[in-house]
Formats: sequence, C-alpha cells, structure tokens
Amino acid sequence: MEEFLLRLQESDFGVWVSSAPTLLAYPTILMLHTVGLAMVVGPAWVLDVRLLGYGARLPIESLRGAFRIMWIGFVINASTGIALFVSEADDKGLKWIFWAKLASIALALIVTSRLRRAVFAGGVASDVAPPNARGLAKASLVLWLAAITAGRLMAYVK
Amino acid sequence: MFLTFASWLHKTPISIVLQHQVAWLWPFCETLHFAGLALLLGVAGMFDLRLLGFMKRVPISVVKEFMPWALVGFTLNLLTGMIFIVSEPAQYFGNPTWWLKVTFLIIAGLNAFVFETAYGRRAAALPAGEDTPTPLKIIAAVSLISWAGVLWAGRMLPFLGAGVGAGL
Repeated sequence: MEEFLLRLQESDFGVWVSSAPTLLAYPTILMLHTVGLAMVVGPAWVLDVRLLGYGARLPIESLRGAFRIMWIGFVINASTGIALFVSEADDKGLKWIFWAKLASIALALIVTSRLRRAVFAGGVASDVAPPNARGLAKASLVLWLAAITAGRLMAYVK
Repeated sequence: MFLTFASWLHKTPISIVLQHQVAWLWPFCETLHFAGLALLLGVAGMFDLRLLGFMKRVPISVVKEFMPWALVGFTLNLLTGMIFIVSEPAQYFGNPTWWLKVTFLIIAGLNAFVFETAYGRRAAALPAGEDTPTPLKIIAAVSLISWAGVLWAGRMLPFLGAGVGAGL
C-alpha cells in the first residue's frame, strides 16, 4: 500500500501538482476545490433548510436545478481532489482523517441521492415534504459539515 | 502605516490571548470559515441566479426570504476572519492579495447596498415570470463575480504575495 502511494506521489503528475513553480498547479487546484465545495454544499444546505420548513413560500420544485449545480461542483471536486491526493498520496493516504473525510462524503452522497428520490422522483415536487425528507435533510446538513471539517483537519492531524 | 498598526495590534492583550489560545482554535475557525463560505455563496448565489432569470416563476421576494442564512454565513466569516487578523495581523496587512480580497468584499458590499437602496422595491414588485430588467442582471453578475473574487483571493493568500509563512 505504502509503496503504491509513494509511486503515485512521485509520478510526473504528482510532482507537477505539488511542486511546479506556477500558481496554476497546487494553488489553483486547491482554490478550485473550494469553488466546488461551495457549489456542492451551498445548494445542498439551501435545499436542506427549505425541507426543514424554512422559507415555506418557496416551491420545493423550484430547487430541482440545485442538483445540476451540485453535480458540476462534485465533478470539479472529485477531479481536483484526485489531483491533490496524488500529489501528497504518501502523506494523506495514511491519515485516518482523510478516510473519515471520504466516508463523510460517501454517506452524504447516499443521503443526497435518497433525498432526491424522496422529494423529486414523482413528477412535480410536492410542497409538503415527504415524512422521511426531514431526517434526510438533517443528515445532509451534518454530513456535509463533517466532510468540510475533516477536510480542513487534514492539514493538522498527524 | 498598516504594518505599524499590525505590530501594535499584535501586542494588544486580545491578540496575545488569541496567539496563545488552545491549538485547535485556528483550525476550528478555519472550518467555520469554509462552512460559512458555503452557506453565504449557496444562498447569495441562488438569489443572483434568480435575478439573472433562473427560477422565474418564483417571486424575487420569496427567494429573498433565504437571505438571513447568507447573513449567518457572512457573520460567521467576519468573526472568524477577525480572529485570524487579530492573531496574525502582519500576515494579512502585509499581503497585497489580502487587500485584493478586501477590495472584492467592498465591491460586493457596495453592490448589495445599491441593490437594496435603488432597486430593492422594484425587484420586489416584479411579477413572477417576467424578465428581470438589465440593471438587476448587472447587479447579479457583479455579485457573483465579486464573491468569486473574494474566494479566489482568500484561497490564494498563502501562495500569492505572502511574505510571511502562512498555514495552507
């Protein structure tokens, strides 16, 4: 495992990301990872607070487009995340906090897809959220916050 | 001038308290800063998209009901941001990229002020389904671009113009 992580990190691509003397390498990739974060978590939280009953005059159906933004944000973050991981694979790959971040994201994605099915699958979304939507919305709020927290702590936890 | 202020600030009791705070204060505030960013951009971004002509069937006033959440995100980031600045003033005042971030913040703030004072009532009165007037679209575009600028400059702080070694 460690040998594989080290090979990744020392690959041409890994070395380019971590040490190319240009702002377009590590700094820009890291910045785009934050843009993606906002595009995934921002709309997710808007949808969550709406499903929890806030801003009830807003038709839930009008938030269907949130999933498109989240999807674009997710693609940005999966690709920038892979690039960032490769560049420090031998460090991050051995940290429990990195795996905690991935687990939070995996759970958040499962919750998000269930939420989408519960609220938006049957044609025009009803403005009375289905009974299980509240629980899913709460889980989504907490899991995305957990993913952000674990991601930030990757810079600190040894 | 600002560096003199920075070194004065660095010696104030509040700054010294923050500098010697528990080790987790900084990462904790950073985490809140990222969460606040997502909340602010999620809500403000939705409002801007509405002004640009998305979700047209929803009245602008209804979308605006979510704005208090953007304010929660903004307040969170203002408070945590001030903790960073008071702890390590030179790291920010001495970095041109931080001034660029502040410039984008001022543009975003002025833009919101212009919207509220000059177009707020007009926007609220706009019937659902109707095309938004061009000034409102410009305001929405300026908002999106300036918040993107805030994010860009903020994330570039450790890499661009940082004289002092900053945490990534």
